[in-house]
Amino acid sequence: MSTITGLGLVLLVLMVLVGGKQGWKSFLSIILNFGFLFFAVILIAFHLPPLAVTIFTGVVILAITIFMGEDDLLTTQTAFYASLIVLAVLILLIIPVEHWAMVQGFGEEDTEDLEGMSILIGINFLKVTVTTTVLSTLGAIAEAAMAISAGLAEVLQNHPQSTGKQLFHSGLSIGENIIGTTFNTLFFGFFGGFLALFIWFVGLGYSFSSIINNKIFVSELIMVLVSFVGVIITVPITSLVMARRKDKVVVDSSSKND
Amino acid sequence: MRMKKIINWRTLTMFLLVAVTGLIAMYFVNHNQAFYREPIGQVVAVKNGKPQKQKDTFDNVDHTTSQVVTVRVVNGKYKEQHIKVTNEFTDSHAMDQRYRVGDQVFLSIQRGGHGALSATIQGYKRDRVLVFLVWLVVCLLLLIMKFKGALAFLSVLLNAVIFFISIQLDLNFQGNHVMWIFGSLAFVFAVVTLLIVQGPTKQMMATLGATTIGTVLSMVISLLVFSWTHERGMYYESMQYVTQVARPLFLAETLLGSLGAVMDESTDIVSTLFELKTLNPDISAKSLFLSGRRVGQSIMGPLINVLFMIFMADTFTSSLLYIKNGNSWGYTFAMNMGLGTVQSLISGIGIVLAIPVASAFAGLLLGKRRA
Repeated sequence: MSTITGLGLVLLVLMVLVGGKQGWKSFLSIILNFGFLFFAVILIAFHLPPLAVTIFTGVVILAITIFMGEDDLLTTQTAFYASLIVLAVLILLIIPVEHWAMVQGFGEEDTEDLEGMSILIGINFLKVTVTTTVLSTLGAIAEAAMAISAGLAEVLQNHPQSTGKQLFHSGLSIGENIIGTTFNTLFFGFFGGFLALFIWFVGLGYSFSSIINNKIFVSELIMVLVSFVGVIITVPITSLVMARRKDKVVVDSSSKND
Repeated sequence: MRMKKIINWRTLTMFLLVAVTGLIAMYFVNHNQAFYREPIGQVVAVKNGKPQKQKDTFDNVDHTTSQVVTVRVVNGKYKEQHIKVTNEFTDSHAMDQRYRVGDQVFLSIQRGGHGALSATIQGYKRDRVLVFLVWLVVCLLLLIMKFKGALAFLSVLLNAVIFFISIQLDLNFQGNHVMWIFGSLAFVFAVVTLLIVQGPTKQMMATLGATTIGTVLSMVISLLVFSWTHERGMYYESMQYVTQVARPLFLAETLLGSLGAVMDESTDIVSTLFELKTLNPDISAKSLFLSGRRVGQSIMGPLINVLFMIFMADTFTSSLLYIKNGNSWGYTFAMNMGLGTVQSLISGIGIVLAIPVASAFAGLLLGKRRA
């Protein structure tokens, strides 16, 4: 048995023990997300336009993460619509930023790993960078959108008479409470994984100016900052979507009560 | 009503202040060349040659184009000189850059035999992008999250500083005791972050306890699985940028990578349970534990996916290169995504374990025990 299988089994058992049926569904969502991510690599390798692959994979992964993470339809639908809007905004931000930063492909520090490989593969790595940056933010967007919309669904349940404006403000205050920990999740997620690179920088005596212009460092920091932007704008956008959907929902539940 | 107006006014002033600061900062990074020791040039003219078709052994077709770039040196002793530089770029841009008018580049300048200057381009100046994005994040934070947003950003900055200090420390020990250094630093990170986000309260102690125990348990379980499976399928040689012994470095990366997410979840569970306690002071330890589990169930899936997407997106580019170099899907996965998958799984185990631990902690701390 390989280590990956072993750890996967441990995770599966723990998730089912702690989460029951929900745990099983969450585990499945991770496997499916992996499948679509790998599928995206294959599609781009077959020279499909990276932007189209990005949008397709992005929507699918958001749907999987959100709809398999919760049962409550009001929460998941609101989160899904909101995250689609956020995805669109982020793609519009990421494309110019990546073309401006030119952090595509590989850096000088990768030279050793690339030995014996052909890098002239005829696929524009600048477009691939847009794909990777978008993919890296998807989990964070989905998580934030679900946290806000689940919180607002609960507010609506306790105070069905809340106006759209009140809901919007409740959404912002829920957002204020989650933003600190979410930022740290992203910071450690990104930088923890790049510990080796930072040791390289410091150990080989890179100057501050060469670090802040370094291709790999800048590419990584762009991912972190874009994810921050994604999480921040998810808060008001989800609140707005919930405020707009509220009337419909309140009518639905009152007709059920009658 | 009046009160509200004042607050809005204050936010607006604050926002304007940041916006103006940002514009000044952008102007500064566009004109900060004097602070660089390396010579910097601004591209003023570009002439592209004809693309040359190239084909590699795997039938990948690409085109190489050479360009003559005229740069105006903007700092140092050759300031205001114009130099012609040749550059080559390909369609795929894997290791090369295509320069356009207005780009700023780092140069290395040599004086030739007859006093003529020649130069090569060392790299592209990217600090402008970072300054723009940091400014965008700060503006949005202040506009939408106000004070709490500023606190969140502050905690990230503080963690970045501690992060760099810890790397310095690691190098001073020449890479020995990696796990001890980064393990204890993970604890310091947790204390600092939770103190900033929650303040020195009982709630913070419960969250800290849950985070620490959850993380330690997940590392212990993972190491047990490592030894049962003899680490089969773990290719440490595929790890990037390694300058020290790879295995402890990998474990330290995993530990730090999962820390934020485990803290995130413990915070959610513990703060929900504290709120339940204030709503219903007579609530029993058992029902607190069950509520905590319910909160955890719905956030664990999305949270594991957050880390999973981050770890995997980093391997996307090199996986693509492996596939286009005629490698099988299995080999591509093993050499690029294998370690990322292990990292995601270990983090996932930590995230799941934190649920019962945090619920139990809060339950024991707050719940009414039966006489």
